[in-house]
Amino acid sequence: MSTTDIAGEIRAYVVGQFLAGEDTTDLTGDYDLIDSGVIDSLGLVRLLSHLTRAFDIAVDDIELTPDNFRTLDSITAVVEAHAPVRAA
Amino acid sequence: MTDDLFHLTAPWAQQLNADTRELDAAGAFPHDKWKVLQETGLLRTHFAPEFGGAGHGVTATMRALEGLGYVCHDAGLSFSASTQIVSVGVPLQRFGSQELKERHLPRIMSGEAITAHAITEESGGSDAMNLAATARRDGDHYVVSGGKMFITNAPVADLFLLYVRTGKPGPFGLTTLLVEAATPGLTAGPAMDKIGLRTSPVGTLSFDELRVPVSQRVGQEGTGFLILDHVMKREVLFGFSITLGEMTRRLEETIAYAGKRHQFGQPIGSYQAVSHKIADMKMRVETARKWLADTGVKVEAGQDASLDLAATKTIVSEANVQTALDAVQIHGGRGVLTEHGIERDLRNSIAGTIYSGTSEIQRNRIATLLGL
Ligand SMILES: Cc1cc2nc3c(=O)[nH]c(=O)nc-3n(C[C@H](O)[C@H](O)[C@H](O)COP(=O)(O)OP(=O)(O)OC[C@H]3O[C@@H](n4cnc5c(N)ncnc54)[C@H](O)[C@@H]3O)c2cc1C
Repeated sequence: MSTTDIAGEIRAYVVGQFLAGEDTTDLTGDYDLIDSGVIDSLGLVRLLSHLTRAFDIAVDDIELTPDNFRTLDSITAVVEAHAPVRAA
Repeated sequence: MTDDLFHLTAPWAQQLNADTRELDAAGAFPHDKWKVLQETGLLRTHFAPEFGGAGHGVTATMRALEGLGYVCHDAGLSFSASTQIVSVGVPLQRFGSQELKERHLPRIMSGEAITAHAITEESGGSDAMNLAATARRDGDHYVVSGGKMFITNAPVADLFLLYVRTGKPGPFGLTTLLVEAATPGLTAGPAMDKIGLRTSPVGTLSFDELRVPVSQRVGQEGTGFLILDHVMKREVLFGFSITLGEMTRRLEETIAYAGKRHQFGQPIGSYQAVSHKIADMKMRVETARKWLADTGVKVEAGQDASLDLAATKTIVSEANVQTALDAVQIHGGRGVLTEHGIERDLRNSIAGTIYSGTSEIQRNRIATLLGL
């Protein structure tokens, strides 16, 4: 998966689960999803479950700090760092 | 293999059930029975072999705990055992440093060190993400102030995992610290008298300039709520697997009683008013079993089980109260006499709809997940 694909998948999940029905045209990659309240504690737990399944990452491999999940960009970086390498 | 674990504690049934009525009346933690539990190996079930554990996963451990619930009539002791497994051992195994694991996991899984976890405070338990006990950084220590309430095992515990605030309000400012009971500045209050689970001591903690080395932090600063989530999944699955075992035993005892107790020349079980109550008990027990089994598999597979956990916790705890009430009713006058232990089951069931997140909070969570 390319970075664009990963970022697109993550964005689709976040928008679908936490911002359904909202206008998300201004949702940038560096928008703080935690401080803004878009993702609360339950949301972060669900996002983690989703990432481990969607990208086949062992949850034990991910460093669980809120900062890693604060923005779409940081989530994408975490996934890129841990997702198994796939043939193009 | 999994089925074998259901029978893990069965050989110790007699010792585990000695003097249950007297200990319940006294509200005393049964230290002698704790030693029996240590012998059974139950406390090692879920931990990694490299530290001396048996290396079983979530569902196998659930089966061992279901077996404990089935065998052991002392629900307080079983509750303390479940707390022992999940409170410190589980988070340490997943998030602790190698040094902390090596130092503490062996003594936790042997049962030599009794453990507790402290989240709830005087100001409230439901809104746990806004807990107030604070830990400020002072060089290579945290200095903790505040207090905790309703902490299972606290009056007898050697080791605590404290959930404290190191950052701003809300879930992302929480951190967990491992603290020995004998640390200056930490005071555990006496056991508080309560309606049920009376052999499982619950008490308060207070912190007065309690200094905890930074090296005793479990996980990163600010990840306390992720640790709590990891723990609560197992607390619900393990604790309520015990409940499932207890309910199964209660159902069997009630069926046997309804078959042998005669009134108006017939076994009371032949009267529809009684047999339908037992049919309802059976449906509740099996519903609980299915939810626990499905949710256990999901958690073990790392799937999103947020809604399943909330539903499982509510369904099993409420089934426990209702089946305990039904058992009292079907046992008639004997149901309320302390010598038969049926009323004890009812008293023991009450707290289950409160601890590990109340029924109301679980329903709120389900509603939120449904987009309401
Ligand atoms: C036997 C026992 C063992 C325990 N062991 C531990 C332990 O080891 N460690 C620990 O940290 N804690 C422990 N607890 C504490 C337990 O987690 C709390 O009691 C529980 O979370 C409820 O908190 P509370 O008692 O402060 O009630 P409150 O939070 O004050 O709630 C009171 C009532 O209001 C309802 N309510 C609150 N908010 C809402 C809402 N938003 N919507 C609808 N209803 C609401 C609740 O459901 C409840 O019915 C234990 C409790 C018991 C009874």
